[in-house]
Order: sequence, then structure tokens, then C-alpha cells
Amino acid sequence: MSGQGEARRIAGLGQRSGVAFTFDGEVIEARAGDTIAMALWVAGRQVLRASSRDGAPRSVFCNMGICYECLVVVDGATVRACTTVVHDGMRVERGGRP
Amino acid sequence: MNPERVIDAHVGVVGAGPGGMVAGAMLANAGVSVVVLDEGHRPGGQIFRQLPEGAANRGQIAEPPSHHQGQQLTGVFAGAGVAVRNGATVWDAKPGRLWFEQCGESWLLRCERIVLAPGAYDRCIPFPGWTLPGVLTAGALQVMVRGFGVVPGRRALVVGSGPLLLPTVTSLLSAGVKVVAALEASSRLGAVKALPGVIGNRSRLREAAWYARKLLAAGVRLRWGWTVFACEGDGRVQRAVIGKVGRDGRPRRDTARTIEVDVVGAGFGLVPSVELGLRLGCGSRFDAARGGHCLTVDAEQRTSVAGVFAAGEICGIGGAEVAMAEGQVAAAAILRDLRGTPVPDALRRRAAAERRASDAMLRAFAPLPGLHELAQPDTIVCRCEDVPLQRARQAAALHGSSLRAIKVGCRAGMGPCQARICGPSLQALATGRPVAMDVPVVQVPVKPVCSATIVSAPPG
Repeated sequence: MSGQGEARRIAGLGQRSGVAFTFDGEVIEARAGDTIAMALWVAGRQVLRASSRDGAPRSVFCNMGICYECLVVVDGATVRACTTVVHDGMRVERGGRP
Repeated sequence: MNPERVIDAHVGVVGAGPGGMVAGAMLANAGVSVVVLDEGHRPGGQIFRQLPEGAANRGQIAEPPSHHQGQQLTGVFAGAGVAVRNGATVWDAKPGRLWFEQCGESWLLRCERIVLAPGAYDRCIPFPGWTLPGVLTAGALQVMVRGFGVVPGRRALVVGSGPLLLPTVTSLLSAGVKVVAALEASSRLGAVKALPGVIGNRSRLREAAWYARKLLAAGVRLRWGWTVFACEGDGRVQRAVIGKVGRDGRPRRDTARTIEVDVVGAGFGLVPSVELGLRLGCGSRFDAARGGHCLTVDAEQRTSVAGVFAAGEICGIGGAEVAMAEGQVAAAAILRDLRGTPVPDALRRRAAAERRASDAMLRAFAPLPGLHELAQPDTIVCRCEDVPLQRARQAAALHGSSLRAIKVGCRAGMGPCQARICGPSLQALATGRPVAMDVPVVQVPVKPVCSATIVSAPPG
């Protein structure tokens, strides 16, 4: 995991196994148990979709499955990045309009 | 294996927060078959969210006194052997039936009785720049720190109204984030007036003292009568314009000043998650102080629909203490139905006392209609459909001031969040009048799920 990413974790959380997934083709390292949204936040990838009308960048907003701002595409299905746990080899793409 | 994807239990509980966990554990311990459906990945809900593995008991993440109660409760819940379905999104319901999606599969829970304890979510009030990446709800930052051990940013603004701003601040401090400003829109006078109602409630006072100590030690001062006027930045939040508000929440533009921040947590109180109750046909009422539309229940937590009980925030915002007390009453009422054992008076009295204390506290944080003046004509009010305020106003002028007319007129509230985010403020913003909000329009699916989930749903 990159140094920058580690800075976005609270120190001393204890070891957990790592998993790797791709976001728009880029390999992202995560901690087992992370949601897509949290893994991408730690990796410095905050923008998860473009808004429906003007294409403005949108990111995690409620982080608890209410607002549907963080919609991304996993294996062709649109899911909430904040409620979907990453697993090894998952292919995630930026979402379009909700 | 269960190829039919139908499960049976006597009681189905929606939500594994304080109310749902108490009810589920109490019923299971009494030998009643119960299944708890929870959208989270681990029991606890939002308020008793379990810390990330490895962080518990090490003290990195500061926990207020009440959270020991949460740990205790999650332990009791685990020990009761309640069947829990995690990651389960309930998308439709009728009396005796709960349809849910779990891991992309469509399930049906058949249960004679239902306990609704789905909790609440942050109330959002639109302001310029609130759609920028880095601007989140206060609850979102809590989840980040307390649920995942993730550091949200370096310099934070915490803004909004209500008692949940304090845990947001302490969570950020635990994560090493500098809290540049903590702004409470309500006036300090209102809080002082609410004191007598809370003073007899020892656990609430202990909680307040804990937060006061934490903020003092970190040199963070909660500023009363202040809020955010706008967030600015290139592709993400970099600055926030903050300033004072009048007693009604109206921004005093002459007091505006700019601060540098890279993350903002905004929460103007909470909104009860009432949709499933409305879908089931339960009676509701509008109670502005308790967060908006709430289910009406009797002294045994029975809704107007036979076999459907409700506990906690869905009956009006009240916090964990209220939810636990009401969860106990709901479970006791179900045991009364099944076995004829009366609901102990002590349980009912405790639930009523907790409600009184929380209602007294909420009076200090009554909704401020003037905050709706933060949004400018081009400020997005509906984030899903990108509807700016001016279009919502045109819709209200053309089609009428009802929630339904505004939605149809400009598509606000018709996106995937189903008006959970914009709905609570939409009518007031579009009409310019602080009206009581119409009953939310509930569509099926109550939450968006895959079309395959609906098509393949087991018939009820």
C-alpha cells in the first residue's frame, strides 16, 4: 500500500489481510473488510461518478447506504460503493448517472 | 441450502441498532424464533457501530460512556443466538412478510409479527458547494473513522445542529484530524432553556460532560449560532465560508469569513427512516422537533397495523437510550400476545422517561427555517437528479406546493435516493414557506434493488 494511503488509516489498527481490486483498470490495494468507498478513499480516489446533468465530480456523501451518491459499476451491476465490501479481483468502474 | 429462498420465523426485526438488538435478544432469550434483517455488515447500527477489528479496547478511537453500553448490548445480542441476516436490504413489506435482497439474492421472510427499528439518517440542508467531493454528512465521517479506521482528511469543518455534532468532532480528533471549526446553528440560549428537562437524566449528563472534556482538551470550541454559508474548491472542497445566523437560522451575510478545510461533515439533525412503516400502512404524524414524519405507536409500541411494532427513531428521533427502552417494550408486548404475560410497568415507565428526556433535549435543537436561505437559485437541491433550487421553485409555482406536485414538476426526489436526502427540505425550499411536510411518497422497491431481485422475488 502506498505511503499516502497508510496516512489515511488510523495507526495501530492491527494487521488484516490485504486484497486487491481494480478501479477503472487501476489496481487498488485494500484491507479485507473495507467497502469499495473506503478502500478508494484511502487510495486517494474520491471521485466515484459524474453527476447526471453537468458531469460534475461526486463522491461518498452519506456513507451508510441512504443517498446513492456513490454508485459504481461492479461486473456490470450498479451498486453502492459504501455498502459493498471489496473482494480480491473485483472489477469496479466509475458510475455514470444514478 | 434453501432453493426457495423463503425463511420462516415468528418475529422479523428490521434493523440491528440498539432498538432491534434489544428486541431481538429479548425475544430469542424467551425462546421465540426471531430473524433480524440488517443492512449493515455487523450488528450495532449507526450509533453503536462496532469499531474496526483491532481497534477495540486499544483506546485509539475515543468512545463516550454510552458506548460501553453498546459493546455490552452487542455481546448480549451475539450471546442470544439471534439469527441475523447482515447486508440485507428490505425493499418491500406487508403485514407478516418482509422481502429483502442479500448478496444479490432475493429473499422472503415470513413472520407473524414485525418489529421496525430501522433508525434514522442525517438531515441535509442544501448550501452552495454541498455536492463537492469532501463534503459529507456528519454521520458519514463517523462511519469512516469508527467503522473503518479511515482518516477523512487533515482539516475538518463540522457543522449543523444537534447532539450528534459532538461525537463527530471527537471521532475526527481520534483520527488525528484538526477540527478547524465546530458550528452549531442553534442558539446557546435554547440549550440553556432545555437543561431542566435533561438535568434529571444522569447518563445524558455524564455523556455531555465527557464530550465537554474532550473538546476542551483538544482546544475545540463549539460555536453556537454559526453555520456554513458555502463550500468552495476546484473539484473537491478546499474552503468553507462560515458565518453567524439569526435565532431563526437566517444567515447574517455580513459575518461571513473563509476558512481552509479539506473535509466537511454536515448534519442538521436526523430524519426518521419511516418508509417501511408507511409501506405497511402504519399511521404516522408530523413532529418537527422529532425529525419529521414518525410512526404513531401506543404505550406497548404497537403501530396502527396489527402485528407491526416500532421502536426507536422511527417513532421520532430519540437516541439510543430511547431505542433500547422501546425495543424492550416491543418485545415484552409480543411476549404478552404469545403468552399472556403483562408488559412490566417498569419497562413502560422507563421508555416514557427516556422519551421525555430526549424530547427536552431536542427542544434545544428545533429546526431553523432560516437555514433554507443558505441555498442560492443555482444550488442543487436534489443531488440524484441535479435539480437546482430555481427549478424546484418554478415547479412549485406551476404545479402546486404539494410534495407530489413539486416532484412531478421538476423530478426532484425521483432519483435513486427516493427523496431521502432532499425530501425533508424540498417543500420548504420550493415554496419559500416553512410548511409541515407532506407524508413522504413511498414507492416499491422501498430502496432501489436489482430488477432481478424484484422479478425473482418469492411470492408472499
